[in-house]
Amino acid sequence: MIGCAFDAQNLISISLRKIQSSRTQRGGIKLHKNLLVTYVLRNARQFYLNKNASQAQRSPPYEDEVAVREKQDYLELTGSFTELADDFYCNFTGAEADSWHCGAHQPHGQLTEMPHQDASSCALVSPNDSDLMLSEACWSCADKSWELPVPNTQANQKTVLDLDTHVVTTVTNGYFHSDCCAQPKQPQGAQCHRKRKMDTSYFIVDPEFYLPDFVPVPFKRMRSDDDSHSDSEQLDNTNISNLISVLGSGGLSEFVSWQQTDLEQIFGTQTICLKHTLFTGSGWTRAIEAF
Amino acid sequence: MFNIVFLLRWTTKADIISTVEFNHTGELLATGDKGGRVVIFQQEIENKSLPQFRSEYNVYSTFQSHEPEFDYLKSLEIEEKINKIRWLPQKNAAQFLLSTNDKTIKLWKISERDKRPDGYNLKEDDGRCKDPNSITSLRVPVLIPMDLMVEASPRRVFANAHTYHINSVSVNSDHETYLSADDLRINLWHLEITDRSFNIVDIKPANMEELTEVITAAEFHPHQCNTFVYSSSKGIIRLCDMRESALCDRHTKLFEEPEDPSNRSFFSEIISSISDVKFSHSGRYMMTRDYLSVKIWDLNMENRPVETYQVHEYLRSKLCSLYENDCIFDKFECCWNGNDSVVMTGSYNNFFRMFDRSQRRDVMLEASRENSKPMQVLKPRKVCAGGKRKKDEISVDSLDFNKKILHTAWHPQDNIIAVATTNNLYIFQDKIN
Repeated sequence: MIGCAFDAQNLISISLRKIQSSRTQRGGIKLHKNLLVTYVLRNARQFYLNKNASQAQRSPPYEDEVAVREKQDYLELTGSFTELADDFYCNFTGAEADSWHCGAHQPHGQLTEMPHQDASSCALVSPNDSDLMLSEACWSCADKSWELPVPNTQANQKTVLDLDTHVVTTVTNGYFHSDCCAQPKQPQGAQCHRKRKMDTSYFIVDPEFYLPDFVPVPFKRMRSDDDSHSDSEQLDNTNISNLISVLGSGGLSEFVSWQQTDLEQIFGTQTICLKHTLFTGSGWTRAIEAF
Repeated sequence: MFNIVFLLRWTTKADIISTVEFNHTGELLATGDKGGRVVIFQQEIENKSLPQFRSEYNVYSTFQSHEPEFDYLKSLEIEEKINKIRWLPQKNAAQFLLSTNDKTIKLWKISERDKRPDGYNLKEDDGRCKDPNSITSLRVPVLIPMDLMVEASPRRVFANAHTYHINSVSVNSDHETYLSADDLRINLWHLEITDRSFNIVDIKPANMEELTEVITAAEFHPHQCNTFVYSSSKGIIRLCDMRESALCDRHTKLFEEPEDPSNRSFFSEIISSISDVKFSHSGRYMMTRDYLSVKIWDLNMENRPVETYQVHEYLRSKLCSLYENDCIFDKFECCWNGNDSVVMTGSYNNFFRMFDRSQRRDVMLEASRENSKPMQVLKPRKVCAGGKRKKDEISVDSLDFNKKILHTAWHPQDNIIAVATTNNLYIFQDKIN
């Protein structure tokens, strides 16, 4: 099992590299390949979370909190990112049906782990994602406040770099595209039925918007006027930033320390500074938040 | 059909072969490469009437189909690589084919010219105009023989209809329409109309966060002009009937085999992704290729394939390495023989496999220079998955994953196969005793 755990970490690292390198390859980002890579990321993440969950059950809870706070890593990333994310997202199961849904096959049944030597033969049937999310949910649904352990910033504020315009803005009230939750709180009404809020400040550019030359007449399917109007409004009136949906919270802080070197090597040659904050808690964040 | 002899080998000078396709008679064989070029070979049969005949395929025409382009709006380069070539059924002396890169489909006309006009009254032989006042008599121009010249000219360009990368093109049996498929959409075109197409499948979710699968291949039924199938990255094949609705988002049939939970791994989703789907010539079956296997489906049975052939099961324990070196994303194609009794697909180390459905036999062969002596019978190859390696077996760890056969084609009538390695095109035929 140790071999499998290490392989899961290794796979996550490899997958991140692939996603990163796909952004600069000729011909643009391959949607199919990147979707498959996110499935591997998800599987590795699930395995790692399950492993940590079983370990956490054996250790006192307060130690986890302290360890989490200590392990918050601020990863200095430098880079300039080309346009992305109109190509793909991968969604992961939230606590409720109306939250994000994991697109991958949902394995059912109890967690069973088969002892294998390497990740490729690791047959891991994990519990339903929603169960996992519930057990680790830390959403502050009640007060809508996001207590983010971001140093040098006020509570409920976040500084973000717009990758399109390179404008640095400060967003208040934490209306993030992501469900990042900083504190590993006990689930407060973990049956949070609220749909994930869409941060209208961040909107992924739909490549269809850029088809001015092609007259879709007569489409058998017509794009609704509402769609096109909302698209153009969003693009006209808001800052458009291209967010990378790669990884985020959910038990990754434990191996951020060893992964930090890898990621620094990945992004080391680029020029824009981003700050990557990893939180504990549930779910994947949707963005790399720039600081 | 397992006495395969080597026929000939063509080498591309600089580029990687990206598609191979016989035309409907098998007389012409088209290849596309990463550089956007199309090379067409023509069969020259020596003494076909004799029991033992040998077909030669020689270069017939070469042309640049696609050039690199740049999308200034998205700051993206559009590769010139030819993803697919599909021949149109021949209607007159000229041949037509569709070639596509990631974004644009083109209809090419390939025609022969072996005569030229001679004896114009108003033009000199070199093309200069004559002074009309100098003409004292008139003559009728005549056509005189000349050296054969093969011309390829673009007749139609079907552009600006695909946001995502085109992976498939398929000509309909009505010979008037064809479909093109990208990751999320399938469009229906008329061969004569370039400025519009009908979107018949759209699996793009309203919210891209909910994207779970993409379209990997699509094909029209060989006889039913209203029916087509498309495969997905989730290992699902959907059959659609265009008569049911204008928009075929709801499938007529869905073909999916339940996953074996004992085989679950980090890479289950990747290896279940279908890379190719092909109808049988009869139209009753279809074949799908995923990373490790070939499956034959009866169109009348949706819950499981009727036959499954393991292409290289010995790679299952190597998936982690194959993921690391990106080989796990390779898209292997598959093909039927003329009477649907044998299927063929490629593998690594320049191996390719043939499965005889009727005789329940299979063989693995190698396309290599060492086996390239004229009329040399290919020796079956075997891979040792573990344990003691027998003589003439090759160990899994010795396989060269840079040598891969992704594209193969089978002559529609004869037992002649075209196998493309990285930059070599091998043509083999059945040894006739």
